[in-house]
Amino acid sequence: MSLQADSNDPTVPSLERLLLAVAQGRDQQAFRALFQHFAPRVKGYARKLGADDGAAEELVQDVMLTVWQRADTFDPDLASAATWIYTIARNRRIDRIRQERRPELHPDDSMLDGDGAPPPDHQVQAAQEASRLRAVIGDLPPEQAEVLRLAYYEDKVHSEISVEQGIPLGTVKTRLRLALVRLRRAFGEEA
Amino acid sequence: MPAHHPAPELLFDYAAGSLREVQALLVASHLAYCAECRRRVAELEACGGVLLEEVAAEPVSDGLLDAVLAKLADAPAALPPQPATPPPNGILPGPLHRALGGSMGGALDGVDWVRIVPGIHLSGWSLGVGTASACLLRMAAGASVPAHRHTDHEMLLVLTGAFSDEFGRYRVGDVASYDPDTPHHAVADRDGECVCLLVQDKPLVFTGALGWLLNRGFRF
Repeated sequence: MSLQADSNDPTVPSLERLLLAVAQGRDQQAFRALFQHFAPRVKGYARKLGADDGAAEELVQDVMLTVWQRADTFDPDLASAATWIYTIARNRRIDRIRQERRPELHPDDSMLDGDGAPPPDHQVQAAQEASRLRAVIGDLPPEQAEVLRLAYYEDKVHSEISVEQGIPLGTVKTRLRLALVRLRRAFGEEA
Repeated sequence: MPAHHPAPELLFDYAAGSLREVQALLVASHLAYCAECRRRVAELEACGGVLLEEVAAEPVSDGLLDAVLAKLADAPAALPPQPATPPPNGILPGPLHRALGGSMGGALDGVDWVRIVPGIHLSGWSLGVGTASACLLRMAAGASVPAHRHTDHEMLLVLTGAFSDEFGRYRVGDVASYDPDTPHHAVADRDGECVCLLVQDKPLVFTGALGWLLNRGFRF
């Protein structure tokens, strides 16, 4: 297995392979490659959300250490590497910078019988889904893309976006719902 | 499968990480009952993954990789134990079980209750962060919550039994959501008590003579 992150070959989900190599082989070379790719992005994410340089680098360390420790919980059927690392960065940021706990659902938490696994239609090609999603996000009308980015990058719940942007709450909700409808199409909602 | 879900904006705020802890507790608890909302949250997290790939990368300091690699050597080979998972057949969903301290055995035996009016109790346990708070609400069979209005948002997640209000009927896993200044009153089904997770953003204002008394003594 090649451990080079080969972004030129769209058929090779190499970031996912790197994560699996960390999970299965405690592979430090693979971990270095993941660090090179994700550390600057996690830092950019933290900086956009208002962390200063030092706090952003502490978050990077925390996230990458968690990647090493929890790599065995990564499942490429459920999420791309970027999605999985996004959820770690989001949760660690809430813990460290906002100093709140992040209530999360764990895999064993389902209250429904025989419902441990996600629906079968979601167990396909999470990484390929990401490229469709990227195209949909790129094509969003600017005002819809804006509410999306404010929520993910400015730590604003939708009602705060309304107040701070001087846009009526109903308009924020409408834009958000229109964006969500478009995003859902990337997940094969026509099926 | 639940019939009443959190608003799409709430799932979005939860996936984006902007939702505050108290409301996030209700959303995470609802997910334990709802495969459909779990799928929506997974999709919105995938959106977060795409945005993470798009974010303007910031170079990290030269020594950062080495600092992390040095810590890998010290990192425990075994993971720290995962937080408590509730026992099977418990009535508390995992996120709520953990918020209560993981000591309830998935049941409500260890919860203290404060009587508000006959048939209506609130838990001594509560979680307050910022202006929001969560506690448990217990309605005896057929009991109704006194009419009240409130100045901010209020949500209920049904954990056992069922109740009805002006807007519909809510069973286990369902979320009832009330906008500010919407008078409403919940009535538990006649055939059993109903326990809910109650989340609100501001103290409520009870209406009527009973409300005057309640407002002096209780937050609800």
